[in-house]
Amino acid sequence: MRYLAYVLRRLVATVPVLFGISLIVFFMIHLVPGDPAKTLLGIRATDKAVAALQKSFGLDKPLWEQYLDFMGRLAHGDLGRSFFYNVDASELVSGRLPATLWLVVSATVLALLISVPLAVLAASRRGSALDQVIRAVPLVGLGMPAFWVGIMLVLVFGLKLRLFPVSGFGDDVAGHLRSIVLPALTVALALTPILIRSLRTSMIAVLDSDYVVTARAKGLTHRRIILSHTLRNAAVSSVTVLGVNVAYLVGSTLVVERVFALPGIGTLMLDSIFNRDFAVVQAVTLVFAVMVVAINLLTDLAHAALDPRVELS
Amino acid sequence: MRKPIAVLAAVTIAVTGLSACGSGASDKNDTSGGNGAAAAQGGDLVIVRPGDSVSMDNTMVFSNASIWVFQQMLESLYEVTPDGKDVAPLLAESHTLSEDKLTWTFKLKQGVKFSNGQPMTSADVKFSIDKARSTEGGWEFLDVAIKNIDAPDPSTVVITTKYPWAPLLADLANFSNAILPKDYAGKSKDEFLKAPIGTGPFVWDHWTKGSELKLVKNPKYWDTGKPSLDSVTWKLVPDDNSRNVQIQGGQAHINESPPFSSVEQLKGQPGVKVDLFPSTKTDYILMNQNEKPYDDVNVRRAISYAIDREALVKTLLFGNGEVANSFLMPGVVYYDKATPGIQYDMAKAKEELAKSSVPNGFTTTFLASSGDNTDQAIAQVLQSSLKELGITVKIQNVDPSAAHDLQNDMKYEISHSYWTMDIADPDELVTFAVDPDAGSKSFFTGYRNPAVIADVKAAQKSFDPAERQRLYSRIQKQAAEDAFLAFLYYSPFSYATSTKVKGFVALPTGNYHLEDVTLSK
Repeated sequence: MRYLAYVLRRLVATVPVLFGISLIVFFMIHLVPGDPAKTLLGIRATDKAVAALQKSFGLDKPLWEQYLDFMGRLAHGDLGRSFFYNVDASELVSGRLPATLWLVVSATVLALLISVPLAVLAASRRGSALDQVIRAVPLVGLGMPAFWVGIMLVLVFGLKLRLFPVSGFGDDVAGHLRSIVLPALTVALALTPILIRSLRTSMIAVLDSDYVVTARAKGLTHRRIILSHTLRNAAVSSVTVLGVNVAYLVGSTLVVERVFALPGIGTLMLDSIFNRDFAVVQAVTLVFAVMVVAINLLTDLAHAALDPRVELS
Repeated sequence: MRKPIAVLAAVTIAVTGLSACGSGASDKNDTSGGNGAAAAQGGDLVIVRPGDSVSMDNTMVFSNASIWVFQQMLESLYEVTPDGKDVAPLLAESHTLSEDKLTWTFKLKQGVKFSNGQPMTSADVKFSIDKARSTEGGWEFLDVAIKNIDAPDPSTVVITTKYPWAPLLADLANFSNAILPKDYAGKSKDEFLKAPIGTGPFVWDHWTKGSELKLVKNPKYWDTGKPSLDSVTWKLVPDDNSRNVQIQGGQAHINESPPFSSVEQLKGQPGVKVDLFPSTKTDYILMNQNEKPYDDVNVRRAISYAIDREALVKTLLFGNGEVANSFLMPGVVYYDKATPGIQYDMAKAKEELAKSSVPNGFTTTFLASSGDNTDQAIAQVLQSSLKELGITVKIQNVDPSAAHDLQNDMKYEISHSYWTMDIADPDELVTFAVDPDAGSKSFFTGYRNPAVIADVKAAQKSFDPAERQRLYSRIQKQAAEDAFLAFLYYSPFSYATSTKVKGFVALPTGNYHLEDVTLSK
């Protein structure tokens, strides 16, 4: 009940955020030079044909009126129609959302699978050579741009070893799983150094605390101390770090989607901006905003679940 | 401390297992079969391309990514010959032309059916071409000479023109005049365009917009035994490098446009073939004559002389192209190799500028599309070349959509554009480029030379090839002297294909016939 009321309150608080985003995006995309009617009709378009198409798109109306139309449709759950493809923007977005969600979720899972064991190992052997290596090597991943890492992974695992498809998204779940490994790894490699360092630091702080010293004095095994007494407490701050970075990664999936030809909403966003496909740009931005808000909400809930002292209010 | 290591090991095993369980699919598409593999029937040809189709409306669309798809479903009365310089009958059997050159009578090929089983008749031809010539802002400009279309019997079509019109067969061969079933086979236009019906070798399957488009074999195709392929899938892969690795990795069979920078590297890859097909693509510098000092022919000539075209061919095309001497290109009939197009000569550039209204140079702005490597390179070459003349070039980078609008509205000073031919007659480009009243303001330059315009009109009405050559040569010579555009270079169409693909050829007009393509196992 405590969770439900909190979630509902947070969802209501999301509405003004989304409203603000819709306002900014609508005016930004409409005020940039470039006309969808002219883009669509090409270089031979007559002024009459351009005017007719602008009218059919509703672009002949004053901007404020177009915004009210947009908000009116949005209130009814209608994200508008793509000028470029002549289909509902929601249809385009829902068709492309799965690839982006697969990427974000797989990258997060992969990042956790890599960073948690390494952070635990580094914290347990603080100051050792292994600790130094675990702290230093992943930093290389942080310093390398995602598109370059992606291309290198494709060259090695896709072309040389032929272990994974070089790009694309596959046709079924098995195909999706195989296709998502390299892009997810590309994103995860950028995420792991931050996670490792954050979790290692928290674990060291916890390992130095009095109750761990007491646990050791009571004769508990090192493994039990780590798994039952340290990891959960240390995870609290790392969950926040993870939440912030995953929210950031939602935006940066665009580069990775492009390198791996993943049909996600990042590439849809980029193409739609170039085509001045206003409805799609607005729809994708709103979806991105909802995803970021949802990740922040999940982070707060996870925080509360891990730490009983955190009040959901 | 074994647990974390165990977790790592489990991840490694899971990832390796995941790759292993899918290795069958990878083998299926492996390109390592090489040249020795035998041609076979069937298969799904996968073509990767940088941009998606826009619409299947053949009368309105200008995007190649759309045209090259619907041309596999929709056929015209005539088709462009492989050399791009003539047309041959396709759905027409033959034609006769009246003495006064105004009435064309076409006999249709017998036994041709649409993919829905309905026979193709003259009523379908009349409907289709009448539709094409009544659009607004589409390809109707090709059909302006047509006065009337009659269908006296199911296998005869009579087209009457307003005046003698030499390019008619070339115009009829264009995809915009492709033959659709009358009244869209009883559907609304919108419904029809969602799954078009034609007489072509392939039929509609599905289109996931922004991702992939698939056509399947037309079992009722009139040219018995064709096509060999079961289906064709065009996949959108915007990144140049990703398209190349998909060919190398065997996930795709044809890359529609590998960048010239990657041609040498791709040539060395096993199982990959690179083709540079002769094209009609020509790049130009546009100079807006509505803006001073570009109304001065000496200024335009000075700039044209100052451009090192050889350097552009080397740096932009990696040597895979030729310097241009005319606004027409070698791939189009009546191109004149002897046209004295202005070439790089800095001494002459200085001479021309000295004679101009701005002998000491001036400052100008080059309109470039951001993210377009060609635009950026040309802008930079121009900037350094013109510096020697005392002309300061500022580069205005705007995104492609805005650049397109600014060019069309002639709100620029100097910029870059290109052209590829759609029909096998120079009239389309010549009218677009030098007739300011034809809708494009002379390639958005505002160029107007009454003598050249008169020659354009005369060439449209002449049926004598020698006379047309004389007229088009004169147009090319005068246009070069007027330097209304700076002709830069002719470049080929680059394609990277898997060696499993046989019979793939891109025509100089850019389109390709997939009914002749086979895919070996």
